[in-house]
Amino acid sequence: MGMFDALDISGSALSAERLRMDVTSENLANAQTTRGANGQPYRRKEVVLQEMGGNSSFGATLAGVMGGAGSGETPGGVQVAGIVEDQSQGQLVYDPSHPDANAQGYVRMPNVESVTEMTDLITESRSYEANVTAMQTAKSMYTKTLDLLR
Amino acid sequence: MNLFDTTDLSLQAAIRGSSLRQTALAQNVANANTPGYQRKDVDFESSLRAAMADGTNPDSVQFDVTTDPSSPMQPDGNSVDIDVESSKLAENGLTYESLVSVAKGRIEILQSAIGAGS
Repeated sequence: MGMFDALDISGSALSAERLRMDVTSENLANAQTTRGANGQPYRRKEVVLQEMGGNSSFGATLAGVMGGAGSGETPGGVQVAGIVEDQSQGQLVYDPSHPDANAQGYVRMPNVESVTEMTDLITESRSYEANVTAMQTAKSMYTKTLDLLR
Repeated sequence: MNLFDTTDLSLQAAIRGSSLRQTALAQNVANANTPGYQRKDVDFESSLRAAMADGTNPDSVQFDVTTDPSSPMQPDGNSVDIDVESSKLAENGLTYESLVSVAKGRIEILQSAIGAGS
């Protein structure tokens, strides 16, 4: 167990939540994009989060060797397992003058629902704030410990 | 006679336990949106109480992060309630700070006794 583990854990969550916000913004920005990178309509992306064990860090290994940590698992924060594309189909909109319209005059739109993205954005920003609060608590604890030396 | 008595050692162990609990609670907040994640906690008070009851040296008490299976689960298999975690975080922070304050008081007593505090 390292001294600043709690800060590292909250830090990993901050970067994960920030990435989720980036991806949600990208989805919103491309809500009307009928030509994605592969020429197909844009597909909304989603971030897959995964729990991270903390046994790989130098501090954890050292503590394990010295018997400082218990036998249980060590928390290590959260990590992004990957960004996946939502494979559902977007809706067809009748717009014959659109350059991407098919023979019948329909255009395949991206599968982005702006309501879903907005609620996701709220969840992500609240999670970010919760992690900032956890970080502040840890910081005030460590500050208090440093007071012992004065 | 030892410079640090059982109270000092217990305080030290409790600070260690509270610090580990902070990492477990931070882990819960960090994984509030991870599907299938079950909340973790450290019950350092019980471990310490058991050690004091059977006379074990508090310094050698080991604290473990345990998974809490009792917490109600959401549809995605996650059992973190962000409000519960936030209040536990605040509570643990205050516990830690009060433990450190008491430890500081005892260290100051020792310092004045050995004439190093002035």
